[in-house]
Parts: sequence; C-alpha cells; structure tokens
Amino acid sequence: MKKILLLAIFLNFAFAKAQTELPQLSLRNIKGKKIDVQELSKDRPVVFSFWATWCTPCMRELDAIKEHYSEKQEEFGFEVIAVATDDSRTKPRVKTEAMGRNWPYEILLDTKNEIIRSLGNPQIPLTLIVKNNKIVYRHSSFTPGAELELFEEFKKHLN
Amino acid sequence: MKKILLTALAVCSLSITVAQNGTFSGGFESNTQWYQDDNGLGTTAPQDQLRSNNYFKLKYSYGKFTAGAQYEMYQPSPLLGYFPGYDDNAIATYFANFRHKGLDITAGNFYDQFGSGLIYRSWEDHTLGVDNSIKGIRVNYQFTDYLEATGFAGNQRAAFELSDGTIQGFNTELDLGTALDLDTSINLGASYVGRYQQTTSPDPDFPATVNAYSIRSDVYFDAFNVGFEYVYKDPDFNLGNNSVSNYSDGQALLFTAGYAIPGLGINALFRTLENMGFYSDREEQGNAFLQQTINFIPGYTKQSSYAVSNIYVYAPQALLSIADEKAGEIGGQIDVVYTADKGSLLGGKNGITFSLNYANWGGIDAVYDQTTNQYEGSFFSRSDRYFEEISLEVYKKLTDDFSIKGTGTRTYYDGRIIEGGTFVLNGTALVADFLYELDKGRSVRLDIQHLSADADRGNWAATTLEYAFSSSLSIYAADLYNYDETDIHYYSAGGSYTKGRSRIAVNYGRQRGGLICVGGVCRFVPENTGFTLNISTNF
Repeated sequence: MKKILLLAIFLNFAFAKAQTELPQLSLRNIKGKKIDVQELSKDRPVVFSFWATWCTPCMRELDAIKEHYSEKQEEFGFEVIAVATDDSRTKPRVKTEAMGRNWPYEILLDTKNEIIRSLGNPQIPLTLIVKNNKIVYRHSSFTPGAELELFEEFKKHLN
Repeated sequence: MKKILLTALAVCSLSITVAQNGTFSGGFESNTQWYQDDNGLGTTAPQDQLRSNNYFKLKYSYGKFTAGAQYEMYQPSPLLGYFPGYDDNAIATYFANFRHKGLDITAGNFYDQFGSGLIYRSWEDHTLGVDNSIKGIRVNYQFTDYLEATGFAGNQRAAFELSDGTIQGFNTELDLGTALDLDTSINLGASYVGRYQQTTSPDPDFPATVNAYSIRSDVYFDAFNVGFEYVYKDPDFNLGNNSVSNYSDGQALLFTAGYAIPGLGINALFRTLENMGFYSDREEQGNAFLQQTINFIPGYTKQSSYAVSNIYVYAPQALLSIADEKAGEIGGQIDVVYTADKGSLLGGKNGITFSLNYANWGGIDAVYDQTTNQYEGSFFSRSDRYFEEISLEVYKKLTDDFSIKGTGTRTYYDGRIIEGGTFVLNGTALVADFLYELDKGRSVRLDIQHLSADADRGNWAATTLEYAFSSSLSIYAADLYNYDETDIHYYSAGGSYTKGRSRIAVNYGRQRGGLICVGGVCRFVPENTGFTLNISTNF
C-alpha cells in the first residue's frame, strides 16, 4: 500500500506542470573566471550542452556543431555554452580538448556537478535550450545529424 | 485504505495548486537486471534472480527555499557488485536549503568538494553505488565576489545508515585576480577537514580525531595555467596488524600545468601521495564497495570507451598496506590534442585531430617493518613501476558523411599490485572505429578492436555494430572475445529510445567480471549474464 501511495504521489507530481530553471550559481570558465549562469540567457535563447572529455557522443556533438557554428551564429545568433561535467579526474583535460579541437564555445566547468545535480543527474550528452533562464527544450543523447534538428529547434525560440 | 489514498491525492493536488509560484522538479531512475544461469561462463544466477536499483527524486523550490528528498529501493536485493548494505528501501537522503544574497544554508544531506577532492569530496554515482553525502548542516557565505567560505558538520551516509564518525570541515577561497582586477586569474584556497570517531582503545594516544589540512592555488595566464595542491593528514590508526597499534600520517601533492591555443592543447600532471586513505569510519579503510570515503583519489590515466581498453585499467594506490608493502604512489600523465584545420597540408579537405596520452605510475620507496606495523618512506622517491601506458588516437573525417578514428595503445600493468593477481602484463591494443552518416538522422557505426597481451588471459578481439534510426532510437550488437585462453564470448545486444526527458534502454548479454572502472574509480563486479532494463526520466 505504501508503494501505491508513493506511486500516486509520484504521478501527481509528474503531471503538475514543472517549469525547470537553471539554478542560481556561478561556474568558472577555462580561463579561471567566474560566470553567472543565470545571466547567460538574458533575453535570448542559448544552447547549454553538457559534455565530458570521456563521453564520445558528447565530443562528436560539439565537433559536429563546430562545422556550422560561425555560419549559424551569423544567420540567427546561434550560441552554445559547453558545460564540462568532468570531475577532478579529467578536469585538467577539459581545456586541452576544447582548445585542441578548436571549439569556439564558452566552456564552463561544473566540477562539483552542481548544475547537473540540480537537473536531476541526467545522462550526458544533454542539450538544453534556455531562454531567460527557463529551460524551453531538453534532449539527451546524440546521434549524427541531430545537430541539424537543434538548429531548427533553436530558431523556434528566437522571439 | 482508499480513503487514505484519496486524502493523499487531494493533499498533493492542493499542494500543487498552492505551489503555483514555486516549481516542482524531480526524476526517476530504475536499473533492473534479470540474471540467468550460464554454462558457457560457468556462472549461476544469484538467489534473487531479478534485482532492481531504483531512485526517485523530488525537489520543490519556492523563492529562496528549496527542499528535496530521494527515495531509494533495492528490491529484492541490490544488483550484483553493489554494497550489500543497500538491501532495503527508504527515503535515503533529504535536504532543505535557503539562499539569500551571499548566504547559502543547507540542513540535511549535502554534497560538496574542497579543491580537487584530495581532502574532501561528497558525491553520488549510481553506476558505482556511491553516495557519501553528509547529513548535517552546511553554510556557505560569499563575502564579496572574490572571497567565500564554507563550513559544515555532520555524519556521512553509509547505505541506509549513518557512519560512526563525525566529520567537520571548513574551506575558504580567494579569487585574487578579481580582487586586484587583474587579467590573470589567481584562485587561492585553504581547507580543513576533521573526523572524530569514538574509540575503545586502551592507548591514551589513540587518534580518535584525525585532522587534515590543505592549501592550493590555480593561476591562469592567457594560454598557460598552473595549479598546485598540498594535503597533510594527521596520524591515523594503521589497519592490518591489530595486535600492535601504530599510527601514520599521510600527505599528497598535486601539480598541474597546461598550455592551450586554438588547435593545440597540452596538459601535464604530477601527483605523489602516501597513506591518503581517509574514511569516516577507520575500520572501513580500503573497503571494496567504496563506502564512507571522505576524500577522492582518482586514477589519472586515459579513459577509454572501448571494451579491450577497459580490461587492464589502472586503479590508484592511495592506501597504506604494510602487509602488501605499499604506502602510496607517485607518477603523472601528459595529454596533447592537436587539430590541423581544413585546407592545411596535414588537415586536407576536412581537418584531422590527434590525441596523445602518456601515463606512468609507480610506488613510493619505503622500508616496511611487519612486526612493528610501521614503515619509513620518502614522499618524493620512487620504487617499482605499477602502470605505464601510451596511446595515440587519430580522428579523420574522410568525406562529409564518413569518418574514421584509429587508436593504438601500449600498456604495462602490474596485476599483482593493481588487482592482487599473480601476473604482470604487457599489452598492445588497436582499435578502428568507422562512422557512416546516412540521411534523416540515420547512421551506422562499426568498431573493430584487438588486444594482444603476454599474460593473464592473453589475446582478445572485440567488435561493436551500432545503428541509429533517428536521434531517438538506436540499436547495437557487440562481442568481446577472449580467443586465446578461455574461448569465451562476452556478447551483448540491445537498444535505447530517448524522448525529451526520458530514456529507456534494454540489453541482453554477458558482463565480463573484474574491476569495473567509472571515472577513475574502480570496483569489482562478478561475471554474469542476463537481461537489463534501464529507465530514467526527469521532470
């Protein structure tokens, strides 16, 4: 009975329309500067891509977006913030990989997994579109070609 | 009963209506396995053949307040390889948090980390069965945008109970670059963590309290960055020969340096440590299930996603074991990533990326006295090599829709030290990974892997074939074959479906036993065969 009750409560909560926001916190970028996460999506949509140096599909996704980045940025202001969820084991490798692969994104370090925990510890790659700090689109996993869908989705949130 | 249910529903609905200004979020994760007998592997299914680990998380935020809880259920038993103490179900963790301006207060279970975690890290990882959150109180205060401090006290979670030891900690961080308005970032930190655990020892000098202290700095110039961290830990009780009580202190030094410009990234890391196991319960030192660890000591080596490269993975040797003549480790690693752009001589039409990793770890030089249960060693000296590896990976996009990644790795692995085995192994692994992108989000990936090794189970071959129908649906089949010594196929096949915030994955196959490492932390998993179902959703 206890379980049924819990399930009922769970379903009830699940149907309540949750509008998730990014938490109020600052993360360091790969230059050691603190960046206020909530400021990044002020009055415009921004893609938050959660990755790690050990996550092959994550790296593929960010490599794939890079191919079109300057073009899409010019066309409709497409912007990616790549949040590395690497813990202290692979944190030193984040800057090496991001720069060595010529990524044009702002790279943030979520070394203590604060953001990813507040999102419920989902699996990565996790891609969000965030506008005025509200998560308006959420997708996990990456398969080649999904970056094209992301560009289309992004355009929907321009206004 | 129906009445209670209805009341509960009414209360929930009401609370949701009331909570229009607040937000609910949460998640559910379920990992279930149905174990089968397998004559080929010589394994029989465990007593509870169907096992399931479930996590259900709820969080409610209203303005400056956040409260949350996590219910966990391991029924009828936790999955194989997990700490048997999880055999239960209950609200495992809960917290209430208040944030206002620079103040951040948490009561209940919290997670945190000081520096790189060498002195303290509380974290959660469902794949490893680790949750060493501390239940107590934590206060963080930002004095200015460049100075903050954190203090906490509490007891660590040990499955569904609390640890015997009480932990308290203090940390302060100063962002000197911001304070002095420099272009260069200079981040300084200092920490203290102490553990108190009652003792029944007749020795008046027995260390019931063990304190640890650390200092660190991270400096970022334009392309260069350097970091260092030093930890000293007071003498703690040496496990092992219990007839003689002896106490040894511990210390660790971590040094990192990096250089990066567009297209080229380099980093080097050096770490030496002795007797740095730090547990909230001293009797749990070195336990196989990674329970009650206060600090975090990862293995700094390359992390690979290929099956043949995950058989002989280095596990860091932080613990003092006078019986095994081990007191710590010393070593380092270097990473280089280089991309030749499109149109360059090396890059050709689509560019090319090279990644190199070299890692080398050994023991620290020491003399051990089994009768007195003591050792004498130097932090900066080195004895036997434990592990050495060099790997080179080349990624090349041949056409717009076809790419190849090739990896070659040479490994030296001392199985006597790393897994308590009887062998020392030299291995060479070669992997070719092909990806072909079709239209409409469909793609095919094939990898072919081989490991030739001169010890243990000898040579291995492996392959994976993966097909993605769209960005939501994909299937795979894989085989890892030990054709040399045992003639065993570790086959598996499965698929996954992702939609928005939810993911479901099924698979059937054999799991190779042994050291399974996630994020540089390793635990033993027995060989098994069965069906697996993973479901996760967030809302």
